[in-house]
Amino acid sequence: MEEPDDTPTLSQLERQAAHVRPAFGEHAHILCDNLVRIYKTEGVEVVALQGLDLLVDKGELIAVVGASGSGKSTLLNVLSGLDVPTAGLARVAGTDLLAMTAKDRLRYRREVVGFVWQQTARNLLPYLTAGENVRLPMRLAGRRGRTDRAGELLDLLGVAHRAGSRPGEMSGGEQQRVAIAVALANSPQVVLADEPTGELDSENSEQVFAALRRANRELGVTTVIVTHDATVSEQVDRTVGIRDGRTSSETLRRTAEGGAVIAEEYAVLDRVGRLQLPREFIGALDMERRVRLELECDHIGVWPDRPQPDTPQPDTPQPDQPQPEESR
Amino acid sequence: MNPLLLLRVHRGAAAVLALLALSASLLVTGLPRWFEGASDRAARSALEEISADATDLTVVMRPNRPGHYLTDENGFRERDREWRAMLPPSLTQIVDTGPHAGSRFVAKTLGTPVTARLGAKPRSGQYVNVGWVPDADRRVRYVRGSPPGPPNPAASVPGHPELRDARRLDIALARSAAEKMDIQVGATLVLGNSQPLLGRVTGLFEPIAPTVPGDRFWQHNRDIAEVTTRTVPGADRDELSITALTHEGSLRQLILGGRDLVYGWVITVDRSAVTARDAASVVEGMADYRRALSGPAHRADASAQLFLDTALDRVLAGFLTRLATARALMFLILGGLVAVAGGVIALAVQLLTERMREALSLARARGASLGQVVAAGTGAVALAAVPAVLAGYGLSYPLSASLLSGPVTPVVHAVPPLLAVAAVGFAAARLAVAHRTPLPGRRDDVVGRRRSPRRTALEVLVVVLALAGTYLLRTRGLTTDLSTGLATGGAPGLSPGLSPGGAAREADPFLMLVPVMLTVAAALVTLRCYPYPLRLFVRFAARARGAVPFVGLTLAARARSVSALPVLILLPALAVSVYGAVVGGTLEATQRLAAWQTTGADARVERAAELPADVIEKIRQVPGVREVLPAQKGTAQVGYGGRNATVIALDLDAYRRIAAGSPLKVPGPPPDPPSTTPSTPPSTPLPTPAAQNGSAQEIPVLVSPDLAHLTTFEIGWHVRMKLVNRGVITGGLPGLTRVTNNLIVVPYDAATRAGARSHATMLLIRGAGNGGDDIDGGRLRAAVGDLPDVMVVTFEETLRKIAAAPLPATIKDGFRLVTVALAGYALLTVVIALVVGAADRARALSYLRTLGLSHRQAATLTVLEIAPLIVLTAGAGLAVGLALPAALGPGVDLGGYAGDLAVRAYELDLAAPALLAAGLAVVAVAGAFLHAVTGRRRSLGSVLRVGE
Repeated sequence: MEEPDDTPTLSQLERQAAHVRPAFGEHAHILCDNLVRIYKTEGVEVVALQGLDLLVDKGELIAVVGASGSGKSTLLNVLSGLDVPTAGLARVAGTDLLAMTAKDRLRYRREVVGFVWQQTARNLLPYLTAGENVRLPMRLAGRRGRTDRAGELLDLLGVAHRAGSRPGEMSGGEQQRVAIAVALANSPQVVLADEPTGELDSENSEQVFAALRRANRELGVTTVIVTHDATVSEQVDRTVGIRDGRTSSETLRRTAEGGAVIAEEYAVLDRVGRLQLPREFIGALDMERRVRLELECDHIGVWPDRPQPDTPQPDTPQPDQPQPEESR
Repeated sequence: MNPLLLLRVHRGAAAVLALLALSASLLVTGLPRWFEGASDRAARSALEEISADATDLTVVMRPNRPGHYLTDENGFRERDREWRAMLPPSLTQIVDTGPHAGSRFVAKTLGTPVTARLGAKPRSGQYVNVGWVPDADRRVRYVRGSPPGPPNPAASVPGHPELRDARRLDIALARSAAEKMDIQVGATLVLGNSQPLLGRVTGLFEPIAPTVPGDRFWQHNRDIAEVTTRTVPGADRDELSITALTHEGSLRQLILGGRDLVYGWVITVDRSAVTARDAASVVEGMADYRRALSGPAHRADASAQLFLDTALDRVLAGFLTRLATARALMFLILGGLVAVAGGVIALAVQLLTERMREALSLARARGASLGQVVAAGTGAVALAAVPAVLAGYGLSYPLSASLLSGPVTPVVHAVPPLLAVAAVGFAAARLAVAHRTPLPGRRDDVVGRRRSPRRTALEVLVVVLALAGTYLLRTRGLTTDLSTGLATGGAPGLSPGLSPGGAAREADPFLMLVPVMLTVAAALVTLRCYPYPLRLFVRFAARARGAVPFVGLTLAARARSVSALPVLILLPALAVSVYGAVVGGTLEATQRLAAWQTTGADARVERAAELPADVIEKIRQVPGVREVLPAQKGTAQVGYGGRNATVIALDLDAYRRIAAGSPLKVPGPPPDPPSTTPSTPPSTPLPTPAAQNGSAQEIPVLVSPDLAHLTTFEIGWHVRMKLVNRGVITGGLPGLTRVTNNLIVVPYDAATRAGARSHATMLLIRGAGNGGDDIDGGRLRAAVGDLPDVMVVTFEETLRKIAAAPLPATIKDGFRLVTVALAGYALLTVVIALVVGAADRARALSYLRTLGLSHRQAATLTVLEIAPLIVLTAGAGLAVGLALPAALGPGVDLGGYAGDLAVRAYELDLAAPALLAAGLAVVAVAGAFLHAVTGRRRSLGSVLRVGE
């Protein structure tokens, strides 16, 4: 009896080759991989996005938070097809945002994304009524049945009674809800909102966020909201933090059995293993330049780089030394 | 997106655009028509300055062999048809086809002397040419005798064996000529020296005045109607010449040898059909016609001397030279106007598109394609601009019927669409560039604007082209020679016309663009360079205590608030206006100088013979006459040789008083010889000398440079007088005489001193008012009465005549009109520029106000931000406008419009240009101040929230 031959046959090799491991974020609705956006000016380059990674699933509602200048708006401009990233990968609903022609970009803005800005005045044309504003994107895309669709959207967002009013005659909250209707006019797969409640009081903020959530749930639209507003960021399932042009943290929320909302904050580990340690952690241990890492069976230990008189005992730290940071 | 909706929403900006488009369209369609109308009037007046017959075309043939001779009317008619068939199309258009303009032909002998009279005493110096015209019976009325009959050869003439077998023909003479030459009916004249003709006078006639207006028969045949008197050089007698009419049958007698015979065919030109536009083609057509007549194509008469006798081409060539300068100036002001109007329209388009930017950006972000955005925005601009341009174009028609009265030229049709296309095209390009990427707001906070190398290259190109053009303009002039191929030499005898000659000049289109290019180049340089001096001020301001000047000047040096367009508009507008003011002022001054040099005083009365004392007295009594200075002008023999000189006897001191306040330069009187008045300075009036010593006294005189070598000399003028040269007078005495050489100016009483009597042939009159406007030429003429051969000229009349010529008047009015239009546009530019940057400025001010800037400081800041660029631009515009005359230099010759006086230096009257520039700067700064003051009413919060 012959020993079985370990050498794979050609067909086995072909099967192996065909069986590629799932790519990073292959099934994500929004995918940003190592996204870079650099604004060039005379002699100076401003790096607005420095290798940002982000995955958003279809139908998800997430909030993006970050300090001013962290790159939130640049990210949103890239995702909405209004700006082109310098490098990296950006894909929304299967569309590669870096490989789009002008025509693709136009189709993308007409069919794939909707956009809501912070300034109520910038979202709507002041001399058109709410209904006309909602119908405008449909007219631009050459769609039919505009009146019905506009009515439905305004009704869904609770501003149907304002269909004939001009923006100047509406409250800020109503204007933003009409703006959401405008963003939804062409049935986009993704809605991007840049500080939609930034100019509103808490009551109106609540209404606008509720409108966004309703659109998300009832229409299944993937929704990304850039916000500073705690009432918004604390009500979404996932909050992504951006720092210095990179995603730095993610906060996941789940409802416990007792009804209490449990929020857990995570640091983000990118595809090549980079990790942003929270600034306060670094400050507390006076870490700079180098750290020592120790791989344990279930975690990695991170120690500041200081001269050690003796062989360190990772499991029994010295009482006068600070507790090392651990990542799990 | 609906363009109509956009238009309705931004109706204010759209109205501004529409108004500008309408006014620009009206101006650029109206002005060329007005100018063309003036050019046509100038062409007509140029032709009307010379007698009508000189502008008709006369084909002259000198037959010199039997095949050329014509013996009956049919032969002439056949040739007439032939000459007319050869006319090039450009001449066919201007040939008169009216009822009086039928075939005119004539056969005449030239220079036929009367060598003898049968049975009468011979008279010397008489010429009787023999001529035939086909319709003589309609042209003359016989007052004595009968019309000439067919010829009848005389076998022999008693007492004249040399006249055996002489040809005898009947002739008729004008009565006036017969009387002057003492020829009776029935007399037989022996005509010619060799192979003489016998001319028997059968009748005397009087010319019948033509009944059809425009019939120029007698102007062409003046030699038939009246005697021509010619003074024989070197002799004291005159020669009299007349052309007698003969019978058609005698034509055969005229060809039989011995006589200098010419045939002429007159092709009448309708002078009103000659326009400025086809003048050049007429000149070319005439050159072609001359070539065709002299060329081998005409084989039947190949050896005949055939030429065209007319002054039309020479007159038109002179006119074209003047027209070229006028066109160049008109092109300059129209070019400036079109450039500025285009710029202001572009600025208004910018205003409208800026207003639409937010809406279009939103639409673009919401999924509008670039085409949709551009179509919507451009549609709104087109809806505002195109109907306005059409309205302006349409409005120019009723206006032209009443005011402009000019023909429609292609430019009238071409420029309005050009304006509309420029406005719409600029809007489309601007929108396309602005919305190419759909990002709603530019990231100006992180991305600085880079200087485009293409733009730099373009700017450098404009500057280099302008400089090269200026160099060419200075070396070559604005016009280039247009070869007309005019033949020189005229036709003797047939017509008293002028001989053709001269050359027309044609404007070079590139060089005509140079002035406008130069102003644009200056604007570009200003735009690039103005921050540098400002930064110097900023340095000083930084050391000062107040923050406002520092911040204001820093903002101005950064030039964010005012874009390039206003500078590109303001500078050419000012430059062209200032240039117009300089040219206008220069023209006026030169015309005044020309008028002064023509009259020599407020008024001048001149006669070849003595002016009687009573006439002088009457002239003194004419209202408005303040002073009358008698003078005498004549020709004197210098020494005892053949040299003649013009002598003017005049009290130069008194003449100085008369000419005071005029641009005429009058020399001081010659000092009397030391022997009589040793210490008289040149400026003091001459003492009345005693004439008892008569001719022995030396008379002090001024002489022209060519006589300067003579120290003491004699002249023969009334009597012999001894003159002593006391000074040289260069440039003559314009106004009193045109000669600058062989001129002697003596004291008025020179003749008295020499023992003869001084008398006046010329009166120089000073009026009571300024510039002689009180003197009425008509009253002076009335005072002169019916004294023959008296010339009366007044300064006012002369100036009016010089200034009223259509072209200079049009140029001056054109400059005036365009200056007003440009000033209006310049002001609008400032206002629009302020409005365009209003929102940004309000926001910037509001930020500063949150830092503690007071209202007053805010207003000052705005003024300081706007003013430097406006003031610098106004200064640069003023400088360019003042430098343009020097830059264009010899390129623009205004001599043709200033009474043919060369314009040596431009008159720099700074008042009007400086006022223009200062007014503009003040209004701009006031506008900025008002703008800042009105911004006060807006609350800080609302301003800061807008657009954030």
